[in-house]
Amino acid sequence: MLLAKFKITGHSMEPNLFNNQTVLTSSIPFIFSKPKSGDVVVFKVDDRIYVKRVKEIKNQKFFLIGDNNRDSLDSKKIGWISKQQILGKVVYKF
Amino acid sequence: MEKIVIFGDGMSLKKIYDRKIDKMKIKIYLILVMKILIKIISKILPTLTAYAHCDIPCGIYDPHNAQIAAHTVLRMTQLIDEIGKMKNPTAEDRSKFVRCVRVKEDHGELIEEELGTLENDYFKEEHYKKFPNLKKLIEKAVKLSIKTRQAIDMDGAQKMIDAIMQIAEIFYKTKNLIPVRISSGYPTEGEIVSHK
Repeated sequence: MLLAKFKITGHSMEPNLFNNQTVLTSSIPFIFSKPKSGDVVVFKVDDRIYVKRVKEIKNQKFFLIGDNNRDSLDSKKIGWISKQQILGKVVYKF
Repeated sequence: MEKIVIFGDGMSLKKIYDRKIDKMKIKIYLILVMKILIKIISKILPTLTAYAHCDIPCGIYDPHNAQIAAHTVLRMTQLIDEIGKMKNPTAEDRSKFVRCVRVKEDHGELIEEELGTLENDYFKEEHYKKFPNLKKLIEKAVKLSIKTRQAIDMDGAQKMIDAIMQIAEIFYKTKNLIPVRISSGYPTEGEIVSHK
């Protein structure tokens, strides 16, 4: 996914991304470098695509969390994510 | 006679100022070009969904809250209408009016939230295939929840209840339960959907 458009569903990335907000994502930034802590990324688990922020990187695995910590389904439940599961970085917010 | 201040690198203050203006112009131009490009790209690209889930997938879903909220919106609409028709409303009536508007707003939002949870977390592709009108019913109910917040719309509130009841019936059918319409027992009268 060199460039993709996503509509956000849910509140776990508030106050940075809101429910129904549209964003552009791109995998281009990850061609030249790996995702780093603080990046907001879209990733795939089973058949669903999620959006979260990279919190920690260990042994090529990524721990992702929601900005709305109080109310988020994230790596605390999903587990560590591999680089292959990460589809791109949020590069533009509408 | 114009006084020219020469700086260490031989440039006048005016030249430095002009260069800065040029740089700013280029920046603004680039930003504009970027924005136009993004707009074009965003129109071409299909919209996918990225879930920013806020709930633990516990499997507990229920259309009951949306139904209660819809009846609340109708009740508040009725109360607001009654107070609005008063010739000499007291301060207490006015206070009640404001509170009713607030409750109507809150429950309208609750409907959207509850339907959003069902739409995004509970209903799956197979449900939408089996019940082709489901998506439209959800859209209709959400639109009516916005409409009934914007106006004193008794008819809209009733239509919203009907749409949510149909969604509730589909919900129970997806769980292999038999939906039944029972008397609500609320001041709004009418029915709500439960199951056998």
